[in-house]
Amino acid sequence: MRAMESTETKSFYADRLKRAVHLLLFRRGKIPGAREWELKEKLGKNYEQVLAQLNQLLSELDLEIKKVSEPRSEETTSERAQLPKEEARYLVTLKGTLGVKEAKMIGWRIDNLSALSASIAYLVSKQGKASHEDLERLLAHKFGRWKAVTLVDIFLRSGYLEEDDAGILSLGWRTRSEVDLRELMTKMAEAKT
Amino acid sequence: MTMAEKPKHNRSALAAGRKELREIVETCEAISERKFNPFFLDVKLGVDTLRKYFPYWEGFNDHCLDAHTINRLSEVVRLQNTQLKFQSSALYVDPEFIARKIERMSEKRLAEIFLRSWHPLAQLEQLTKEAVANALDYWNLLLPIEERWKRREYPQGKRPGEAGSDTLTGLGIHGEEFSKQLTGLWNELRTLHDSEHRPIDYWKFVRGQSYSETVQRAYFASFLITYGYARLHSDGNQLTLTPIDQPLEKILPGAVSFPIPIPREQ
Repeated sequence: MRAMESTETKSFYADRLKRAVHLLLFRRGKIPGAREWELKEKLGKNYEQVLAQLNQLLSELDLEIKKVSEPRSEETTSERAQLPKEEARYLVTLKGTLGVKEAKMIGWRIDNLSALSASIAYLVSKQGKASHEDLERLLAHKFGRWKAVTLVDIFLRSGYLEEDDAGILSLGWRTRSEVDLRELMTKMAEAKT
Repeated sequence: MTMAEKPKHNRSALAAGRKELREIVETCEAISERKFNPFFLDVKLGVDTLRKYFPYWEGFNDHCLDAHTINRLSEVVRLQNTQLKFQSSALYVDPEFIARKIERMSEKRLAEIFLRSWHPLAQLEQLTKEAVANALDYWNLLLPIEERWKRREYPQGKRPGEAGSDTLTGLGIHGEEFSKQLTGLWNELRTLHDSEHRPIDYWKFVRGQSYSETVQRAYFASFLITYGYARLHSDGNQLTLTPIDQPLEKILPGAVSFPIPIPREQ
C-alpha cells in the first residue's frame, strides 16, 4: 500500500516538475521566470515542495532556482525581504560562476563586464541610487565619454539598471536576480589596485 | 485681524518664514535627488523653524507650504533611516573609496571580480502564437526591398561642376598665372613694409574692393606664409605680416596650421 502511495507521489511530482520547468525556463513576458502566484496556480499549494525537488535536479546541472523580490520603491535588501510573498518571482540562474573565456563565448566583452561591475558597485556604495550624470562621469574616466553613454544605455536596456523620471539610476531587476551584491562588494573592497 | 492691521514686524516675520520654508523644501528636494547626504539637513532645526513661524501663517497657501515642508522633512527622515540601515549592513562601502578603486583597477580585474559574483539567468527563448502573429503582420506590411531603398534615395540636386586646368589658370590659382599673382603680392608686401618700416596689418593687406577679392588675396597670402615668403604674427586679435627677402626652402620647425575665417564685413 505504501509503495503504491510512493509511486503515486512520484508521478504526481514528475508531472508538476515538468510544468515547473516550463514555467521557469520558457520566457513568456518581458522578464523571464514565473511569479509566485503563477506557480501556486499551476502547481498547486505545495508548489514550494515541487520547486525544492526541481532545485535538487537542477543543481546537478549547475543551475538553481532563485527567489527574487519584484522591484519596489525601497532600495535596501532588508526592506525587500519584508515584502509579501506574492510579490516574489522565481528564476533559474547559474549556480556557479563563469570564467572570462566563457563570458566572452556568450557574447560579453571584457570592457562591458568591467563597466557593469563598476556601475553596480558604485550604485551599491551610493545606497542603490545615483544620478545618471554621476555614473556617466565615473565611467567616462575609465572608458571615455562616448563609450560611457553607450554603456549606461546598454545596461538600462538589458535590465541591469533602471532609471526613473528624474534621471536617478537604480539597480535593475536583472542585477537583483543575477548578481550577488555582497560578494561583489566584498571582492571589490578586498581587491588590490 | 486683516493684513493691513498687522504690525510691521509680523509681516516681515511672515515673509521671512515663507522664505525659510522654501529653502528647507529646496534642500529636502536636493537630498531626495541624491545631491546631498540626508544628514546634511538638521531636521530638528527644520521642525523648530516650522514651529516658530506657524503662528504667523495667514492664508491657505501658507498652510499648504507648511504641510509640504513637513512632508519633505519626513522624506528626509526616511532617507536618514534608510542610510543608517544601509551603513549597518555588510553592503556599506564608502562611495569615494569605490570610485577610487574603479579608477585604479584594470578593466580585466574589474571584470574578473564581477564574474565571481555573477550568476546569469538561464532561460529559453521561444516562439509563441502572439510572437508568430506579430511577425506575420510585420512581414505582410513590409514593403519589397526595392521600395524601401527608393525611400532612402536622396533627391538628386545639381551635381558640382568640374574645373579644368584652363579654368584654374584663368582664375589665377594654377600655372604661370598663379606664380605671377604670388610674386605680385609678395612685391606689394615688401614695398609696403619698406615704406612703413614695421609689420603690416594682415587685414589691411588682404582687404580688397570686394569680398571675393579679399578671399583671393587671403588665399595667396596663405601661400606666401606657407612657402616662407612672409611671416604671420599673432598678438591677441592683431595679425601682422612681415615679408622675408630670403625665404627658406624648408618648412620651419614648429610651424602650425592657423585657420583665419574671413567674415563678410572684411
